[in-house]
Amino acid sequence: MKWVALGLVAAGALALAVVLGPTHVPWSALASSDIIRSLRLPRAILAFLVGGALGLSGAALQALVRNPLADPLLLGLSGGAGLGAVLAIALHLAGVWALPLAAFAGALAAMALVYRLGLAGDAEPDPRVLILAGVAVGAFTGALTTAIVSVASAAELRNAFLWLWGGLSGASWEAVLVVVVYLPLPALALLAAARPLDLLALGEEPARYLGADVLSLKRRVYVAASLLTAVAVAVSGVIGFVGLIVPHAMRRVYGHQHRALLPAAFLGGGVLLVLADTVARVAIAPRELPVGIVTALIGVPLFALLVRRWTMT
Amino acid sequence: MALRTRRRRLPISAPTGVGVFAMGRRAHRTHLAILLAVLAACGAGREEGRVRPASRIVSLSPAVTELLFAIGAGNRVVGRTTWCDYPPDVRQVPSVGDGLHPDLEAVAAARPDLVVLYRSPLNETAADQLARLGIATLVLSQDRLEDLGRAARILGRVTDRRHAGDSVAGAIAQALAAPAPALGIRLALIAWDNPPMVIGGGSYLDQLATLAGAQNVFHDLGSADVVSLETIAARDPDVIAVLSDRAAVGPPAFARRPPWQVIRAVRERRFITLTGSLFGRPSPRAPAAVAALRRLLEAAR
Repeated sequence: MKWVALGLVAAGALALAVVLGPTHVPWSALASSDIIRSLRLPRAILAFLVGGALGLSGAALQALVRNPLADPLLLGLSGGAGLGAVLAIALHLAGVWALPLAAFAGALAAMALVYRLGLAGDAEPDPRVLILAGVAVGAFTGALTTAIVSVASAAELRNAFLWLWGGLSGASWEAVLVVVVYLPLPALALLAAARPLDLLALGEEPARYLGADVLSLKRRVYVAASLLTAVAVAVSGVIGFVGLIVPHAMRRVYGHQHRALLPAAFLGGGVLLVLADTVARVAIAPRELPVGIVTALIGVPLFALLVRRWTMT
Repeated sequence: MALRTRRRRLPISAPTGVGVFAMGRRAHRTHLAILLAVLAACGAGREEGRVRPASRIVSLSPAVTELLFAIGAGNRVVGRTTWCDYPPDVRQVPSVGDGLHPDLEAVAAARPDLVVLYRSPLNETAADQLARLGIATLVLSQDRLEDLGRAARILGRVTDRRHAGDSVAGAIAQALAAPAPALGIRLALIAWDNPPMVIGGGSYLDQLATLAGAQNVFHDLGSADVVSLETIAARDPDVIAVLSDRAAVGPPAFARRPPWQVIRAVRERRFITLTGSLFGRPSPRAPAAVAALRRLLEAAR
């Protein structure tokens, strides 16, 4: 029942995104309209997949670092991915298909750096230090990205805003195809790790006693979450807070078991980003907002709330 | 008697679009010079004789550089921006930076007695800082052609080339007063492609389009706004103008991207390229820019 409801909400959000837009498309022309077929439809689907990737990545990261504040943006992954993508474009290295790989390299490097900083002398990273390290690395990669955009000559890079705040204005069927190709592998890898992630929630020691191969699990989840983030960033820039908000909302309905939580986070992330992008497109029409600003407007207050609850316990 | 004193003081109210920054407490002599310059600019004729015309000018905007050369004060320009590329002689003047974030040290090193900046929040801060160094500054709006005519008159006065300044201003006013007959072409001016950013009303290019006889389909928006592709498709321009640093061969790269094909002008490949130097800024060459745009539009029709 809960799953039917989520499916209906997802279908409803997608339908809304296709029907609503800055220009009026009459009902009778919905099926034949070029605006629907080559603009709104690919954009809605891309928003859904990107949001899903970020939601799923956030849910896995929260389990992995045992910190409810984890999110691809706050852990520095998105920033690293953005830096990788921008660097590749500036050096004229990347086409549409290679861009996610460049972003992947950036995300992995950022993650390694964050993890290194998070260790802070201990064998096991402190979840709080990890977030601090993530925010620091995120700010640093943001600064590097801005610097590259300022000095690069590549025409694609003229707008740092797009990379730093994210936007789906470049949506096309080709971008959808890129995501469809890159997404399944890391998504399935995470879904397959659902059971060990449940064990990891108890702590690394207990998980080990219960038979989880913690080291290999962590490696797999980091790589998969980084790739998911990288694909999302490569097609839409850095969109924050989807990976933070969605897992919390989904935990309330679908519980803490990752077998249910991970798919729910994917669908929920898709719904959230589709709705946020619809707001971005129509709120100040005919002008458009960067979608990352919409998600940040929802996400930052929630972040504050979570910090408060987390530090009080 | 009392009446006469009042009359003499009246012109102190600065005209709109002119800002003079010499508010530093230590630079009293500059204050006086600038005050006189303002008075001169405002037409307070009696004070004029006492103002020494500016002889070493740093221009921090390409439009001002063009104006200074147009009024015959080009030989007094001792510093320019990297963007200043017209007239060709300007290349011999050393550059003091890109003018976007004025490099105060480079400006001061040129030992100017006047620095001219365009009006922007960043430049107003810079003008304050220059005034504190005792350097006279003039901040001029130059977003539209009207502003440029006003700037020509003011520059004519501060360089003691009043007649030349007035005649350049007159030529600009004449171009403004006589728009070309309407071509019936609906034009979209696209500044970036991702996210799509269009140039709207209130901008110089919008003004040029009107003068050339075209109608900007985004006249109701701000000078540069992000819109979605479907909005461009729905407004259905006949021709798309693209801004470029250099003359482009053929349509821009985005014209090949599938999502853009919903726009009729993209499908029909009706593009014109506006190059930076002539079209990117209001300049005394505006009449030539209008004529060139008109030719491009007629060819694209």
